[in-house]
Amino acid sequence: MQSQLEAVSIIQALVAGGKGLAPSAAPWLNERRALALERANALRLPSIRDEEWRFTDISMMGRVPFQLPVPHSVIPDISAYVLPEAQWRLVFVDGIFNVGLSSLGAPVKGLSISNLGDAIQNTPQLVVGHLAQHAHYENRLFCAINTAWLRQGAFIHLAKEVIIKDPIHILYINTQAHATVNVRSLVVLERAAQCTVVEDFVGLGEEATFTNAVSEFAVASSARLHHVRVQRETPAALHIAACAVSIEQDGVYQSQSIALGASVSRYELEVLQKGPGVEVVIDGLALIKERQLADTHTLMDHAYGSGQCRQLHKTIVDGRAHAVFNGKVLVREGAQLTQSAQQSRNLLLSSDARVDTKPQLEIFADDVKCAHGATVGQLDQDHLFYLKSRGLSEARARNLLTYAFGAEIVARIPVRSLAAQLERAVMTQAQTTL
Amino acid sequence: MINSGAKVILEIRGLTASVAGVSILKGIDLTVRAGEVHAIMGPNGSGKSTLAKVLAGHPAYEVTGGTVLFEGKDLLALASEVRAQAGLFLGFQYPVEIPGVTNSAFLRLAYNTVQSGRGKEELDPLEFDDHVRETMKLLEMSPEFLDRSVNDGFSGGEKKRNEILQMALLEPHLAILDETDSGLDIDALRVVASGVNHLITPDNACVLVTHYQRLLNYITPDYVHVMESGRIIKTADKSLALELEARGYDWLLNEKLDS
Amino acid sequence: MSTSTIEQLVNQPYKHGFVTDIESDTAAKGLSEQTIRFISAKKAEPDWLLQFRLKAYQHWLTLTAPEWPNVNYPAIDFQNISYYSAPKQKKTLKSMDEVDPELLKTFEKLGVPMNERAALAGVAVDVIFDSVSVATTYKQKLADVGIIFCSISEAVREHPELVKKYMGSVVPVKDNFYAALNSAVFTDGSFCFIPKGVKCPMELSTYFRINTQDSGQFERTLIIAEERASVSYLEGCTAPKFDTNQLHAAVVELVALDYADIKYSTVQNWYAGDEKGVGGIYNFVTKRGLCKGVHSRISWTQVETGSAITWKYPSCVLRGDHSVGEFYSVALTNHKQQADTGTKMIHIGKNTRSTIVSKGISAGGSNNSYRGLVRIAPTASGARNYSQCDSMLIGQQCSANTFPYIEVRNPTSQVEHEATTSKIGEDQLFYFQQRGIGAEEAVSMIINGFCKDVFQQLPMEFAVEATKLLGLKLEGSVG
Repeated sequence: MQSQLEAVSIIQALVAGGKGLAPSAAPWLNERRALALERANALRLPSIRDEEWRFTDISMMGRVPFQLPVPHSVIPDISAYVLPEAQWRLVFVDGIFNVGLSSLGAPVKGLSISNLGDAIQNTPQLVVGHLAQHAHYENRLFCAINTAWLRQGAFIHLAKEVIIKDPIHILYINTQAHATVNVRSLVVLERAAQCTVVEDFVGLGEEATFTNAVSEFAVASSARLHHVRVQRETPAALHIAACAVSIEQDGVYQSQSIALGASVSRYELEVLQKGPGVEVVIDGLALIKERQLADTHTLMDHAYGSGQCRQLHKTIVDGRAHAVFNGKVLVREGAQLTQSAQQSRNLLLSSDARVDTKPQLEIFADDVKCAHGATVGQLDQDHLFYLKSRGLSEARARNLLTYAFGAEIVARIPVRSLAAQLERAVMTQAQTTL
Repeated sequence: MINSGAKVILEIRGLTASVAGVSILKGIDLTVRAGEVHAIMGPNGSGKSTLAKVLAGHPAYEVTGGTVLFEGKDLLALASEVRAQAGLFLGFQYPVEIPGVTNSAFLRLAYNTVQSGRGKEELDPLEFDDHVRETMKLLEMSPEFLDRSVNDGFSGGEKKRNEILQMALLEPHLAILDETDSGLDIDALRVVASGVNHLITPDNACVLVTHYQRLLNYITPDYVHVMESGRIIKTADKSLALELEARGYDWLLNEKLDS
Repeated sequence: MSTSTIEQLVNQPYKHGFVTDIESDTAAKGLSEQTIRFISAKKAEPDWLLQFRLKAYQHWLTLTAPEWPNVNYPAIDFQNISYYSAPKQKKTLKSMDEVDPELLKTFEKLGVPMNERAALAGVAVDVIFDSVSVATTYKQKLADVGIIFCSISEAVREHPELVKKYMGSVVPVKDNFYAALNSAVFTDGSFCFIPKGVKCPMELSTYFRINTQDSGQFERTLIIAEERASVSYLEGCTAPKFDTNQLHAAVVELVALDYADIKYSTVQNWYAGDEKGVGGIYNFVTKRGLCKGVHSRISWTQVETGSAITWKYPSCVLRGDHSVGEFYSVALTNHKQQADTGTKMIHIGKNTRSTIVSKGISAGGSNNSYRGLVRIAPTASGARNYSQCDSMLIGQQCSANTFPYIEVRNPTSQVEHEATTSKIGEDQLFYFQQRGIGAEEAVSMIINGFCKDVFQQLPMEFAVEATKLLGLKLEGSVG
């Protein structure tokens, strides 16, 4: 109870901090921030008594003396995280944009990549229609706080028909113990534009940090966005993130989201279909051990017909770790010819590991093809037997199958160097298997 | 096989039809006699599949004009199941999947309903089982198909074979095969085509609706019709199909524009 | 043509609507400690049972009605319900001949010629009319093998030690809002005890009916199967047509000891309200079975077609090692019906197994939700669950939802859940019609194919009844 009170006081401090921020030069932004502040004031801190937070205990907020980061000039070594494929890189150290570490590449016509703060000032016409317009904060405390704090973040804009082949890397790196960081990404693809965006949340060291991240992706008609999200915060961190994706007619959104770090992490992904004929692929992998908790909530909202969505969410849970998945597929009235399938696959590696999964279908249209499935369990006995019959030891066979289970998701990441790094992480965890 | 003295099975005059208020068929005339094989070809969206569905009585299509006589009867006045019982068969381009209903139960019900509709004797499950297994050999189908749900999880080729199996069982007077060749590999195409050839007699007739000439290498049509924008714009013998294969449809459309 | 055909098919009026005119001994409306003492006194109950009721009532006062189900209805005024209603009994009945002829007529209208049916089919029917048992057949034959099959009231009088030992042991008085209410005010229900080693020689069957207007129904059923005993129990329901909603909050408890086997089947066709959603039964039931012994097995099969609102999760607590829980369900909703139904499989013992097969059919403007929990406790090594939840939609105003909750705490367990949706629409019907099969037969064939996995679980007589019931609801008026 005490920690709950402490947590509330941290929230209050955050709200007050948001209030205390200097107003920006853009009145529309001040207005949105004020509205979000109002909601942040009104909303209660979620607890395990709330259905949506039933398994995700964030009371550590009250036990760790989280505070706003102190300004400093230490330049962290990011070499381990640099992606050679990415000529564009936006780096945020403890939530603050770092020009020196960033790489803005050669200018390309129709491509804008910058700190969000700069974009608000220099090209507000590209921002105003999207910022805080996709991620709804009315009933989400953390999103409301993030919106109230809106100052910096990653901004990517592709004008119509602009196609960027190389990945664009957004690196959020936390270096300070107990720092509370609000970060935001805004990615806007105009008609028929295409790109790949990597959002990378990194924590250096072992100390607890608190990241409150909100991402907004607007995919216009016939545009294609590939979104890779990696969460590798410190083992003691608290990571709460929301991502809102809006897709217009015939747009395509593909994503792989990998959760490796943090003591407690929560990722809420909401994909809204804003026109007919979109294509969505959502893949997830949570690789957790010790006392980690990884919670993924997804909502695929088929508000229009003829949409296709395929989801595959995997977890590999070792030690006393706890994986939570809650995926909702909503097919609204009139959204005929929707095809939506969702799979939740979970692998428990230890006797104290735990999984709670809740794949949900809510269907209000009759001419649709929807399916979901969930499995929790061990490795397939037939597969194990097959490998053993070919001479592999039990342990080797298990390692191999565990690795293959996770690698299936990682292999879909289109950035080779990143996929290789993550494959090694899967390999390491797989080898701890009995 | 053309025999101008043979009895007329299907006679279409000035048929027009629309779907959701959009006019698709704009005046079709076609006569099919016993023993004949007709191919209806044409680019996508020309109305070929619509013609097939209208003849079978699909509820989504509204007939707005014209007449269709089927063995002398007013076809358009009949409910779709009565058309089937009278001997009109549609092989579907996309056969629907019906989970839970076994193929054997479905085939027997269809067979017996059509039999009794023709005043013929129904078969009990054992007799029917013998009959259907015999027929399946013709299409090189494994008997395990009988225990599976109707079309559920069937490959494209399996679905099309299942359609031809139904054609064989129901012994139609007129079979309309809508894009039966689509999605088939060459072996499946050969099996399906030989099944159809086997079923064609001097007393019945067959209309093949197809986009490509490929099927016509195996089933020889007596007439080839080309549809465009809801009308039959050209009728000729089999050589027209080869010409279409070589030249595409555009020259015909241009020819039509010129004339 | 076919859209209207589908509409016709699903718009079949309720055939069992009428009110039987029998004098009732009805308690004044309202609920207080006084009401509970009145019920208990009326039934001349022992003090321990009165205390059981009062404890439940005190707890109920602290609760509020659950809001999490995916159903909407106006708040129920629990003070506007009469909690006791018994047909006047002139004397104790020894045979069917002594049963009120009005009562028998009611059953005839329902198509349940009880004495004939019971004799011919070998079914013992413990008839529940409103809340009090008035006739029990085949009692002697069952008594010969040591089976007790009687009303709960009689069991309280004749076998208090059994009732006291098991009642509330599976569904505690504090379990949930409606179970607490039932525990406080239940009037009657069935009691069944199968002693060690006995296989019940016949299907046991109870017909429930709600009769008096505005009388809440609070049945209580308790079935105990001792070591190596087995029983199949059938529950069938129809109800007269009323315009005001009627609350039904039953509690069913099953206990299976080592190697025991209980099969509980329900066909439910209570009045569902009219096309506009006026009237109909509120069916808020707590059904739970405890697989207490090793290798025990509890199987629930239900065909739910009636009630305005259904809120029901027949569950299994698999405590005994190697015990087995099963749930087979068909839920059909039409017009404005709302159903939130499913099951809970709680795996505690080692190598426990459970199977869930749920088929939801939504038509008209109805709302059909599957909600199911599979929980694997840390102790449940080697546990297995397989769930299959399929939905079928007919028309564009209805909805189908699937909410599975899977909670796993043991790495040696295996849990699998699959769900699909399909439809009966124009193209499906056209395919059948093009093969010469009419729409009505096509719908019947598709529905029966869809529900086959569940119907196979029903006892023979019930399978026929269930097929007819779905037929009644979905066909019959093809023009």
